[in-house]
Amino acid sequence: MDQQLIVRTTGLTYHYSRGVQTLHNIDLRVERGSIYGFLGPNGSGKTTTLSLLLGLLGNQKGDIEIFGQHLHANREAILGRIGSLIESPSLYGHLTARENLEVYRSTYGVPASRVEEVLETVGLADTGKKVAKKFSLGMKQRLSIALALLPNPELLILDEPSNGLDPAGIIELRALVKKLNKEHGMTILISSHLLGEIEKMVSHVGIIYNGRMLFQGPLGDLHRFQKRGSRLFIRTSDNEAAYQLLHEHEPEMTPAGMSVAYNDDTQVAAINRRLTDSQLDVYLLHPKETDLEQLFIDLTSARS
Amino acid sequence: MKLLTALRAELLKTKRTSSLYFTLATAALVPAIFLLNVLTNGGDVAAIGKDPLNTIFKLGAERTGLVFFPLFVILVCTLLAQIEYRNNTWKQVLAAPQKKRNIFLAKFLNINLLILLFLAANLLLTALVAVVTHFMNPSLHVLQHSFNWTRLFTRTANTYVTMLALCTFQFWLALRFRSFIVPTGVGFALWFTGMMMSFEFQSSLVDYFPYSFQAFPFIPDFQSKMTQINLTSLGYATVFLLLGFLDFRKRRLTS
Repeated sequence: MDQQLIVRTTGLTYHYSRGVQTLHNIDLRVERGSIYGFLGPNGSGKTTTLSLLLGLLGNQKGDIEIFGQHLHANREAILGRIGSLIESPSLYGHLTARENLEVYRSTYGVPASRVEEVLETVGLADTGKKVAKKFSLGMKQRLSIALALLPNPELLILDEPSNGLDPAGIIELRALVKKLNKEHGMTILISSHLLGEIEKMVSHVGIIYNGRMLFQGPLGDLHRFQKRGSRLFIRTSDNEAAYQLLHEHEPEMTPAGMSVAYNDDTQVAAINRRLTDSQLDVYLLHPKETDLEQLFIDLTSARS
Repeated sequence: MKLLTALRAELLKTKRTSSLYFTLATAALVPAIFLLNVLTNGGDVAAIGKDPLNTIFKLGAERTGLVFFPLFVILVCTLLAQIEYRNNTWKQVLAAPQKKRNIFLAKFLNINLLILLFLAANLLLTALVAVVTHFMNPSLHVLQHSFNWTRLFTRTANTYVTMLALCTFQFWLALRFRSFIVPTGVGFALWFTGMMMSFEFQSSLVDYFPYSFQAFPFIPDFQSKMTQINLTSLGYATVFLLLGFLDFRKRRLTS
């Protein structure tokens, strides 16, 4: 296994009921030290994939390697190095924040001082004897993150951690994720159904839809992919002539003129120069970038 | 060692729950009724007659063992499993680095600790009834009679062992179903069936029906079968625990 990869799945396939395939050949690649944003609309298979990574579901087909070891052969050793938050907060409502962490402390073999450390990290050190069921949803989510941080994990798996958080909470979470990655070197696999919510913190992105991976790679690659999807809208004094002139750009006719794909502003200028040099009057030259959000919608809706 | 760690976690989870109070309250029910009867000179005073000290413990064990103890076991098995379901914590428990076997056994041990606490509390409170009876009815000289410790120990051990088959089956059901109603309802219905088979129908099948076993320590005609029933109960308990664990291990517990 590539030493840089902390998670690698090969041909991961899963179905809950016969005939309804939930995951199709998922080849997840999470690099050590990265913040991997696992994106997809609700019901696309994110939680199923993450549940498989944590051994909560038995894999039916395919292979999972974490830290270079096969998950099912080394389940406990691997889980001891992972912190996780799957979907909604998993907390004992009748216990305090400290007691919730204490339930798992011995299992992870961490000292009592670690409980205070993680409570400080998530800002819940002053909750005293207040029991978890009386916490706000944001506090519950933060306590769940504290639980995930308890073993000081090498890999942190967060499934939709911003669910129920207000905008300030989401900003705090983003800062916390970046800090854990930068200062503690944690690799973080974070899922979300909103690209805008995580694009500011991730270094890598995987997009899943209907159980299939549509895209996977560094955020920069997604931006390049996005650029390829950007179109330049053009209207000239003779659209037919302009169409012929720009045929190598594979133009598409539109009701108002035409559009061509473009990569950057230099290309826009070059196209403009070419049109004017051919004695065509340019009435409209409108570069329209596809933002990542639109790209995400396009990627996921094109397959539906 | 890891099993002890898992058991410690289970004990922590029951902190601030009603399980401890529920155990003590249920264990106190029969002694409390008994005590009221003694204080109001009810029928029990006459019934304890010649051998009052041993009779108080015998009556207390009978009344507890036939009704309240099995119902307590059915409820406590369900309630402890509900801690995970109600709080949506199964996935966190199973994503922790511990063997599923230890999780399963720790939960079962936790239930058994409460069952043993129930039996101990029940005996202590019955002893209190004996003391009160002694002072309320000095003519009975309750505390001056010899006490048969062997009989008490044997009866209590039989009560516990015959309950293990029911306990393991209820434990399996409680882990199997998210609902509180299903394992409790099934348990109550089977207990009622078991009682009917033992007392109303006097069925020969009671030797094989786990929900009838709790009657054996208290029915004189069944005393000769006590060893056989204890072994049957242990056999059922082993099978139910094993099946329960296999079921628990293969199930998708994602929520």
